[in-house]
Amino acid sequence: MTTLLNAAEQKKPNLWRRARHSFAVARHEPANLIGLVLAIFFAYLILAPVLSILVDSFIVQSGDEARTHQDEGSFTLYYIVRTLFSRISEILLWQPLYNTLAIAAGTVVFSMTIGVALAWLVNRTNMAGRAWFATALIVPFMLPTWTFALAWTTIFKNRTVGGQPGWLESLGITTSNSVAYGYFPIVFILVLHYTPLVILIVGNALRRLDSQMEDSARVLGAPSRVIAFSIVLPLIRPALMSAALLIFADCIGEFAVPYILGLPVRYDTLATGLYRALDTRQNGVAAVIAGVIMIIGVITLLIDVRMMKEARRFVTVGGKGNMDRLRKLGRMRLPASGLAGAFVFIGVVLPLLTLFLSTIMILPGRFNLENFTFDYWIGSNLDTVALRNGILLTPEFWQAAWNTIVIVGSSSMISGVLGLLVGYAVLRCSFKGVGSFLRQITFLPYLVPGIAFAAAFLSLFAVARGPIPALYGTPAILIIALVASKMPFASRSGIAAMTQLGKEPEEAARIAGANWFSRMTKIIIPIQAGPLATGILLPFISGIKGVSLFIILAIPSTDVLTTYSLRLLDYNYDQAANAVVLMIALIAWLGTVLIQKISGTGLAQGLEN
Amino acid sequence: MPTITLTNLTKRYDGNTEPSVDQVSLTVEDGEFMCLLGPSGCGKTTILRMIAGIEHSTSGEIAVDNLVVDSVHQSCFIPPEQRRIGLVFQNYALWPHMTVERNVDFGLRLQNVPAQERKARCLDVMSKLRILEYADRYPSQLSGGQQQRVALARMLAVNPGVLLLDEPLSNLDATLRLEMRAELRRLHQTFGTTIIFVSHDQWEAMTLANTIAVMNKGQLQQIGTPDEIYAEPSNRFVAEFIGNPKINIVDLKAATTEHVSLANHIQSRISANEFTSVCAIRPEEIVLNNTATPHTLPMIIENIMPTGGSWVIELSFGEDRLFHSTQSRPAWREGEPVNVLLPMQSLHFFDHNGKRLVLPESDLDYSHLLLRSNPTHTNQPYAKQA
Repeated sequence: MTTLLNAAEQKKPNLWRRARHSFAVARHEPANLIGLVLAIFFAYLILAPVLSILVDSFIVQSGDEARTHQDEGSFTLYYIVRTLFSRISEILLWQPLYNTLAIAAGTVVFSMTIGVALAWLVNRTNMAGRAWFATALIVPFMLPTWTFALAWTTIFKNRTVGGQPGWLESLGITTSNSVAYGYFPIVFILVLHYTPLVILIVGNALRRLDSQMEDSARVLGAPSRVIAFSIVLPLIRPALMSAALLIFADCIGEFAVPYILGLPVRYDTLATGLYRALDTRQNGVAAVIAGVIMIIGVITLLIDVRMMKEARRFVTVGGKGNMDRLRKLGRMRLPASGLAGAFVFIGVVLPLLTLFLSTIMILPGRFNLENFTFDYWIGSNLDTVALRNGILLTPEFWQAAWNTIVIVGSSSMISGVLGLLVGYAVLRCSFKGVGSFLRQITFLPYLVPGIAFAAAFLSLFAVARGPIPALYGTPAILIIALVASKMPFASRSGIAAMTQLGKEPEEAARIAGANWFSRMTKIIIPIQAGPLATGILLPFISGIKGVSLFIILAIPSTDVLTTYSLRLLDYNYDQAANAVVLMIALIAWLGTVLIQKISGTGLAQGLEN
Repeated sequence: MPTITLTNLTKRYDGNTEPSVDQVSLTVEDGEFMCLLGPSGCGKTTILRMIAGIEHSTSGEIAVDNLVVDSVHQSCFIPPEQRRIGLVFQNYALWPHMTVERNVDFGLRLQNVPAQERKARCLDVMSKLRILEYADRYPSQLSGGQQQRVALARMLAVNPGVLLLDEPLSNLDATLRLEMRAELRRLHQTFGTTIIFVSHDQWEAMTLANTIAVMNKGQLQQIGTPDEIYAEPSNRFVAEFIGNPKINIVDLKAATTEHVSLANHIQSRISANEFTSVCAIRPEEIVLNNTATPHTLPMIIENIMPTGGSWVIELSFGEDRLFHSTQSRPAWREGEPVNVLLPMQSLHFFDHNGKRLVLPESDLDYSHLLLRSNPTHTNQPYAKQA
């Protein structure tokens, strides 16, 4: 009888016993503690700013008491009404929204078309110089978008804006506003920048495709046109979709290009509109615009999630997915290379050469020998108002460079380590809720374009709150904002690295008797050294190219290279500004090469994330 | 050396309605070489991982040498790093950033064993497992069999009382399997360790283990020596799971008066029993005969499949199909008629729940026992006896 009772009791232990047992198990799993700490940390770092900006759009901001006839801090629909429905809503929101969507749509369409064609040429044909193009075509993606924008203005700038004229203007050719500024150049540049992304993503999909599927169709007598449209295209459709959505989302948040090329003709996008609102101290309106940007981001992501779910249905395990068979192009072999070559020329050679030439020319567009000088790089005692030395001899430049390294470097390092810890916590944490919360919250900044995120940070950390002092104007706010904005990438690569590693190496160490600390230092971190290095360097590269976070959060004492160059541009020191941009491009390129050295395969996979 | 006791051990994963391990109780004696055998997903690896401490139980108890290491009832859980139980993972889980030697001496370093002794023990284990020459290589430079020996050495170096192996032979090719099988047997003898291993392969279980615990759907089906489990399966699952080719199953409930069938034939030879639901006979126990006797059935040879040294013969009786296996070359060709005897003492009976039934002697028709004078089931005609 007693044994029976005992058995019954054993079968269903009461809640208290089970909880105590779970605790006894969890006590030996530090991932739980790490997970909880990280969850709280990110709730404050990511969730709080996002929420605070959403709240800001509903409460009266300081200075708006008279307009709203309400006290500061009380609830109001004023900003919503003003931004969405008032007479100036057309200027504040609807026209910028239309412009933003038009730019994003145009960029997606053209970069997809060109990208798919080039991806096919590089991966599936015997185009001349295939291997070389595989790398060269990716380069435009490594350059900051506004490198192209600056090169564009250097050539096409017209009298609409003051300052030094563009090359064509000085050669006597008047460029119309529609060529020099606005929709056309913005889309043109974004297409140049994002086409490599399409080449990477679609190219990977093409390479992973199991050749046996095509062979089966061929055996059944399908001509190559049918194979392309009814076998290959449907199979790489998920890759196409994800590339398109990625580009769309990035374009929504793009700030620097419309800032340089849109502002002169009052061609606003949501990002520049947000900046303008912040600049004119309309924080409430800025909050509403930020909210709109976030909503677009959320919608894009939901579509992405949904399509990924659908895509999973026809994921096939292609073991021998090697595509060694190449399409013979015949007479088209050289013209095909010409096409790819043209892209490299327009996307890499032309802008970089333009920028470089512009830094060694006194007057733009005059191609005679006495007009060339290295003064803007290394000259001293120049007859200018400020900046009397060449850029490499200017202390501010080195200060900005140093700031860049410190701010971007430390934030990349922090986000890389945090990413690995998030990966560890997500996979090991006994409480499922904590894991999925971490996974989702670290992904949240992806939905929030940099400019909106910066605005959110400004709204939260500009004043002292609780134990946190006012951070505006300190490098700390930049570092924190950068860490938060890099978390989607960092946590995803951390989770991926830890998933790939699996639990077993650590379990084997536990069996061998290793405590948590030795497991971390002797097993996990040494094995993950490569991914960790990449996880630090990639955010570093994208960090030094970034503009939107800095332009809102940086002040002259925390100038980084990007804001320094934009400031120079504002004061019409075009040559110096372009020289700084070239230095940024150089650092970005060196960093990318370093990643490739470290991780071997790095580039294509890394950027795709 | 420890004894491992599982009492009503249950593991339920979140979201699964059925428990992965359901009320399993068993004792592994000191020095035993036990196999947990079952189809994939039956919970055998989960049991192994719970014994090691990588998973924890939902209810029930695990005790090692009377010391409770995991019990919800007593709110007690000892983590794997304190249990001193060795576990060799199915895919070995060698640390890719360490050489073979570092992999092997990792556990000893953690125990702060003096360098000299550590070196000596490492060399000893590595030479016993014949991986000494690879000491400075990295795991990725080794073949599967070598990797497995490193994984074994890594565990044996710290001399655990119990060694757990997850599918120890499954990742090896045919030659290596034989070699490793001998190796494991040797290890069990030299180190005297208690070994529990998990397998879905009956060959692996039969050839290695002293004791086999058959599992299905989280539940323990039968424990016994390989012979016991083969000869007296305690239920239909065990009968069908063990044996290659598979045991022949005749559904007695399908017996009808309309046409002749195997079920009818067997029913006629046992007195009717409402519990008896299924009859089974091992392929090698079927006897083929040229001449008809009162208990033989006329069948047709449908198919003869040589399997190298033995033959599998498919027989048909009306709609019914039987498989017979034999070590001697069949004397018939495909399509020829043959007389088939199903010896009564070879028939297994199971009830409608699949549980083994022992029919009372009186229920069986023993007239065929005349045949017992011929113990080996050959293809020789039985005409004389008739």
